[in-house]
Amino acid sequence: MKAKLLGTLATSLVLAASVAVPALAGPKEGGRANVVIQPEPPGIMTGIVQNAPAQMVGGNIFESLLRFDTELKPHPQLATSWEISPDGLTYTFKLHPGVKWHDGKPFTSADVVFSADKFLRETNPRTRASLAHVETITAPDDLTVVFKLKETFGPFIRMFEAGTLPMVPKHIYEGTDFKTNPANNTPIGTGPFKFAEWVKGSHIRLVKNPDYYEKGLPHLDEIYWHVIPDAAARSVAFETGKIDILPGGSVENFDVARLAKTKNACITDKGWEFFAPQAWLWFNHRQGVTADARFRKAVSYAIDRKFAHEALWNGMGKVSTGPFADSTAFRDESALVKYDYDPAKAKALLKEMGYKGEVIRFPYMPYGETWQRWAEAIKQNLEDVGIKVELIATDVAGWNKKMGDWDFDISTTYLYQYGDPALGVSRAYVSTNIAKGSPFNNVGGYANPEVDKLFAEGATAFPDSARQKAYSAVQKKLSEDAVYAWLIDLKFPTITHCNVKNLITTGIGVNDGFKEAWIE
Amino acid sequence: MQTLWFLSSRLVKGILVVLAIVVLDFFLIHFAPGDPAAVMAGESGATDEIFLQQLRVKFGLDQPLMTQLGLYLWGVVRLDLGYSYRQQMPVLDLVMDRLPATLILTGAAFVFSLVIGVAAGAWAAANKDRPLDRAITTISLIFYATPLFWMALMSVLVFSVWLDWLPGFGFEEVGNTDNVFERVLDVSRHLVLPAVTLGLFFTAVYVRMTRSSMIETARMDFVKTARAKGLTEGVILRRHVLRNAVLPVVTLAGLQAGQMVGGAVMTETVFAWPGIGRLMYEALLQRDYNLLLGVFLVSAAMVVVFNILTDWVYRLVDPRIEVAR
Amino acid sequence: MTGFWSRFRRRRIAMIGLIVVALVVAVAIAAPYLYPQSPWKMVQRPFLPPFANALVPLGTDTLGRNVASGLAHGAQVSLLIGIVSTLVALAVGVPIGAIAGYFGGIVDDVLMRFTEFFQTVPSFALAIVLVAIFQPSLTSVIAAIGVVGWPPVARLVRGEVLAQRRREYVEAAILAGQSNFTIITRQILPNVVSPIVVLASLMVATAILLESSLSFLGLGDPSVMSWGYMIGAARTVVRQAWWLSFFPGVAILITVLAINLVGEGLAEALDPRSSRDHH
Repeated sequence: MKAKLLGTLATSLVLAASVAVPALAGPKEGGRANVVIQPEPPGIMTGIVQNAPAQMVGGNIFESLLRFDTELKPHPQLATSWEISPDGLTYTFKLHPGVKWHDGKPFTSADVVFSADKFLRETNPRTRASLAHVETITAPDDLTVVFKLKETFGPFIRMFEAGTLPMVPKHIYEGTDFKTNPANNTPIGTGPFKFAEWVKGSHIRLVKNPDYYEKGLPHLDEIYWHVIPDAAARSVAFETGKIDILPGGSVENFDVARLAKTKNACITDKGWEFFAPQAWLWFNHRQGVTADARFRKAVSYAIDRKFAHEALWNGMGKVSTGPFADSTAFRDESALVKYDYDPAKAKALLKEMGYKGEVIRFPYMPYGETWQRWAEAIKQNLEDVGIKVELIATDVAGWNKKMGDWDFDISTTYLYQYGDPALGVSRAYVSTNIAKGSPFNNVGGYANPEVDKLFAEGATAFPDSARQKAYSAVQKKLSEDAVYAWLIDLKFPTITHCNVKNLITTGIGVNDGFKEAWIE
Repeated sequence: MQTLWFLSSRLVKGILVVLAIVVLDFFLIHFAPGDPAAVMAGESGATDEIFLQQLRVKFGLDQPLMTQLGLYLWGVVRLDLGYSYRQQMPVLDLVMDRLPATLILTGAAFVFSLVIGVAAGAWAAANKDRPLDRAITTISLIFYATPLFWMALMSVLVFSVWLDWLPGFGFEEVGNTDNVFERVLDVSRHLVLPAVTLGLFFTAVYVRMTRSSMIETARMDFVKTARAKGLTEGVILRRHVLRNAVLPVVTLAGLQAGQMVGGAVMTETVFAWPGIGRLMYEALLQRDYNLLLGVFLVSAAMVVVFNILTDWVYRLVDPRIEVAR
Repeated sequence: MTGFWSRFRRRRIAMIGLIVVALVVAVAIAAPYLYPQSPWKMVQRPFLPPFANALVPLGTDTLGRNVASGLAHGAQVSLLIGIVSTLVALAVGVPIGAIAGYFGGIVDDVLMRFTEFFQTVPSFALAIVLVAIFQPSLTSVIAAIGVVGWPPVARLVRGEVLAQRRREYVEAAILAGQSNFTIITRQILPNVVSPIVVLASLMVATAILLESSLSFLGLGDPSVMSWGYMIGAARTVVRQAWWLSFFPGVAILITVLAINLVGEGLAEALDPRSSRDHH
């Protein structure tokens, strides 16, 4: 049964991949896409609300200067061309002429300066951190913007993605309190779709932007984002044809396999390359047996990742071999010390270090069923080699607190890597990012001056070959130390009816995918 | 006049109970580990302490506990149940949005269990110790012992998945029609499984209660007198026995209103019914203090109101009985 | 006592209940010998249907764990939680009820208002809140079930004690100068033990239901295999694997039903008046 299932998944993947190539007949105009949105976002003004569902809707309203394909290569969006000076310090963007905001006002370089320098610096902590490398942002004319950096910053170009640096209208927000501006409820962007209505608890409707500056786009007339709070009900809605598109994570993993086998269902795991979510097991480096590298290695050997990959993740994504996820830049397979499933080695290491049956506290991540099953499986893996584990059930708030207070021995987690180690990897490993109270930093407390130095080098070295050298060294060091037990480079499959075409074309998938999508 | 006085005194008492519940819940929930600011920050992908602090200030989470409680109580008095920072909506709106669905569900379940339960119980009593009585008693014993959530799951499996007779999830179809009649029909179809499931446990309780109280009443002197007067069994049953046996049933109905709210949490979770039971569970998982308190308050208030109503019905049915408390 | 036993034995249905309960207890005790491996151990491929493999007669779950082993080990947990949480409820309810009934007056008023207050709060909702706040663990689950379970005990005991309070033997004991504590514990409580036993046996059944409901919602101790947990974990795959939620549900149903039958048998056997009705 399983072999057959995986076979079906594989064919579906091939089918979905072929969708990316436009069919000869050409796209069909018009129609409505019915999509699931889960959970209902608190808002869809992506400059203010950054959570995943907000990005999923807002990414079709708000745009950035660039767009990134599944290889993370930049493509023109609001900028038609861009230039990086040979010293890597000056980025000059030429903007698309004739772009209008949804309210008809022209989009100019002044909006870019306002968005980056004023708005997002105030509202988005992640963007703020990256903008710290910027000296000045200037607009020599209406269609040119120049970013001057204080120092070279390798991942800088990747900031110009719709979720990280969305362009917001200066004429609406300047001089107002950004967070309470009423326009947040009726967002005005430059994107292919305009906001139409939001019935809380029911649906969000976007309609085609007829004046979109890229001629012939978009193809769809409207998008309905349906709020369906229950996972099982979402599956049913897809099966009965009320819903065409189930974005990643909107049904339980166990149901993905079943839905993939239903008629007219296509499934793809593309569209997550930019986020590159990686799941791993935190170790608390501060105390007890988890401070001992031999113990961490034993755990790394004891976990059967392949089993979890197949039984819990339907074979989607990849088994992790190191701290850089599969689609993250500068990943260097050859630099890694690998920990394959090998219980005998784990037992030997435990014996060598003299593990005496200390109980390991494991407050696993409470993000739903899959994560709980995974924690149970990991616990069993560890008990099979003789490690005693206490599972601790929490809710999201309780878990955040335990992590922030460092009140754990091991725990599961996953974080986005945003395509670049300087944006999404280093934050979990550098000692400067250890601070009690926040559950989102280096909560494991790993501190190694050499690693700190290498990550700092990697972020600011220029050109890329220099960055690669630092990052290869860092991957070697981190894997040697078995800093954390890397589990799976996750992919959250998007399930669609097969007549939905050309949806996933970029590294952020559904988030900005409706621009070119059409329904047969 | 006496009724008015009775009702108002019960109302005052009820309000005091509700307030006490609110205060208790407030402290219980604030005792819980977990910082709501961290949950919000997690949602928005933020990573720094400055942002966490901003959120705490914005939602008054940095105030002393007593101040927060005071503010909350003052709000409750003005019917302002606070603001749900997680859902970016006033709590009262959220609860009121969801309340109709729960009222429809519990109302339907209540009527179902009362009607079927009392009827079956009376029927069983009239056929005491015959096969029919045994069958009814046995079935009600089984329903009495069945976990509600399991019954819900199995009914989805059988009636929705296998037989495909009824929808197993949700309140109505996605992409609903504008035709009112079709919509009512659609909602009714969705209502059947959750309402029956929620009602079955109480049906069993009513069956047992009605049956035993009718058998008990039938032995009493006034029934013997009626029989001696030569009234037919049917008349005796309807006019005397059922009427008197109904009293404990009314009491029970009052008590069960509270249980119904708890059962709704379970039923609404399994059937994806968009009511306050589900809302409460979601609020709890997200540590949405204001919302959780709001749901608690409204459900406790419902129970209090219902208890007053049943006491009143009790007085109507049997004016001799003094309901002192 | 022999009279009681012969009365109980005559009730066939109660005897069946007793036999079933004994069987469940036997399974619970034998679980570590029947299935020495942890019920969490992944022993076979996931989603193996029942009756296909003699080693896993009831199939395997989403992770390839043995359903039969889970049921056996789950019996331990269900009985343990059912009994201990009932004891907790008795430990709270009996003293409150006894004090209220014995002293009467303002003490009675205050304690009964307090009890009523707890009865007004929707009990299952309260249990959810308590377990969630104190984090799910065996202790918090037992405590929560105990806390929502005591008010009926208190009311029952109060009523019974109130009735005994006016009896002559109590007056005599007071005149003899016995302390209130001694009178309550030595004189009155032994006389009201029958209805308490009946109520307690029914409460064990309710507690098992309540525990399974909490576990179903994901509010169980994550380290113990319980029937409610098994159903909760199988909820999303009910369409692919009916057996995962079916068997544990039947286990709960049969156990609760059997305990209820025993409880009713006890009630009638301990109350000679009602036993007469059956002749």
